[in-house]
Amino acid sequence: MNKPPVRTQGLTKVFYDDNRGEVRAVDQVDLTCQKGEILGLLGANGAGKTTTLRMLSTVLQPTAGRAWVMGHEVRDEPERVRGSLGFYSASTALYPKITPRETLRFFARMNRYPSDQVDDRVEELVRRFRIQDYADTRVEKLSSGMKQKVSIARTVVHDPPVLIFDEPTVALDVLNAIELRQFISQLRGEGKAILFSTHIMSEAEQLCDRIAIIHHGEILATGTLDELRETTGLHYLEEIFVRYAQVDDPVQAARENLR
Amino acid sequence: MALRQIWTLYVHEVRSALRERSILVGSILIPLVMYPALLWAGFAGLSFVQGQADRLTSRVAVHGLPDAHRSLVDSLEANGRISVTEWDDDPATGRERVATGGLDLLVQFREASEGATALDDNFRVTIYYNAAQDRSRSARSRVESTIDSYRRNWINVARQDLAIPDPVWADFAMARDDVATIEESTRFLLAMIVPFLTLIMVALAAFYPAIDATAGERERSTWETLMTLAVPRSHVATAKYLYVATFGAMGGLLNLVALTLSLRWILQPLAGADAQELAQAGIPLSTLPVIALGTALLGLFVAAGMLVFAIFARNFKEGQSMITPFYLVVILPAIFVQSPDIEFSTGLALLPVVNVALLLREAIMGSVPVLPALITLVSMAACVAVAVIFAQWVMRNEEVLLGASEGGLWSFLKRRIGNGRAAT
Repeated sequence: MNKPPVRTQGLTKVFYDDNRGEVRAVDQVDLTCQKGEILGLLGANGAGKTTTLRMLSTVLQPTAGRAWVMGHEVRDEPERVRGSLGFYSASTALYPKITPRETLRFFARMNRYPSDQVDDRVEELVRRFRIQDYADTRVEKLSSGMKQKVSIARTVVHDPPVLIFDEPTVALDVLNAIELRQFISQLRGEGKAILFSTHIMSEAEQLCDRIAIIHHGEILATGTLDELRETTGLHYLEEIFVRYAQVDDPVQAARENLR
Repeated sequence: MALRQIWTLYVHEVRSALRERSILVGSILIPLVMYPALLWAGFAGLSFVQGQADRLTSRVAVHGLPDAHRSLVDSLEANGRISVTEWDDDPATGRERVATGGLDLLVQFREASEGATALDDNFRVTIYYNAAQDRSRSARSRVESTIDSYRRNWINVARQDLAIPDPVWADFAMARDDVATIEESTRFLLAMIVPFLTLIMVALAAFYPAIDATAGERERSTWETLMTLAVPRSHVATAKYLYVATFGAMGGLLNLVALTLSLRWILQPLAGADAQELAQAGIPLSTLPVIALGTALLGLFVAAGMLVFAIFARNFKEGQSMITPFYLVVILPAIFVQSPDIEFSTGLALLPVVNVALLLREAIMGSVPVLPALITLVSMAACVAVAVIFAQWVMRNEEVLLGASEGGLWSFLKRRIGNGRAAT
């Protein structure tokens, strides 16, 4: 069997905090994500989702453990890892002073898309995302919906086999969020391996083929929604999450997470 | 491949910067237009004020004027810009009026001291003036020269009365003649001004790009986008460094060009030469490459230093406060250049920034000492290399990378060297 495009083994990240001392943000995480699959990373705020995804995208270095993207290890071949994935999150904004067309060209070139095909690829995405009307307008002048389209196009411009979406709908209105989810489904259909982090249960239910529940940096369970239902005997993902996270008082747990 | 990636990143940085108004103003418009314009305005203003003062009539009061010297008043009034009144009151009141600006000058005559009474009607004069008032200083200069001239004539007449023959009496004469050509005088002035302005311009022109390349990325939330590019972080650091250095050097060079082009109008009031003469004077063409190299070296150094400080900033405000001390330290060596007595020695050539300022000064004067110039080149290149390597080392730190590092450079070093409590 082929190796999965994304694989982690005992992935761990420890931060030092002046007040709290050593903080294990991610602890011994083992994950895999297959081609044509959306793996949901479901957890509350501060559960370790973003840190895990940042390690996979080589923005952060693991303290321990290993991770591979398309066979490239994150510490040994960080540039190859970054070239194999597209990373989308609320903290990956666009450059305001350049146009969508310039943005796509820049990211295609920097992410090693064959240089003789860059222009064709950019035009293909301009058509696909219907951004022709404002492709030469500076990003700073675009509406948030327009920016979102450009941002997604930016993420996929180099046609990476692996895509990471870190809480992508968090700042979007309902319609834009629906459109984004539809697009992510399309990408799955194209055979991409997709990691999708969210704390919105309904989103994970609708979109993800498998769900990994992460809490306090640890993966508590991984499986399809049906498998999780079967294991817990519960129907709703929210109930399943609460059961795994062993949260008796969700309000109190939320307060602790915020501390 | 690496060079192409760095070039693409560099072009991307420059393109964005050229569309940023604050950078355009700080790095291009001010060096090109503002400073030459300010200099011109400053010098023209000074000349105007000087002219106004020259046109004013000096209000002079004389007290105790001996009858034998009544003609001195006529000599003073013959100036056309001196109005003389007799002061019969207490001289102390007159001095008070000078102090309060009611009078420009009080000339008090006294009897000659004992030894000087051999000449009939000899006298002593005290001039009371107010150094805090322009018009009083100007009145002093007018009155002094008139009284001096009157005194010489009077002594000459007395000498004739005493039948002292001319050859016996002849005193020495003093004359002044400036052997410097107008080119040399202009270059001297330029050598005092240009290194200072170049330092300011390079630092100013690199200031906003340095913040834009670091804190700006974080404030716009594009930093993480950049970190996910499939290029080594060192390429990102190099491209950012080149971008800041380009703008720094460009600011300095643009300022030089602007100064050269507007030399005639700026220096005319200062040098007192006519416009045609000044048009021929200027920076010697043969040393222009050295001046351009010196400016480029300054740009490279200032950019490296500013990036090292700015890399810790999480927003523009922090960036400004982190870079400002470095900015001030960089323009401080301009003091060295202001003193023509300081030689461009091999020792001073080791001191970064000071060496380039002195190199620029010598180049403008028309001669570049080879050994100090070479030492300058090596010293600056070494400083730049250290700063760039340091910046790349800092950029590898996750705290800095994610903008989670508290405080600036010193706090970071304290943490790293002190107890190594960085992110693990």
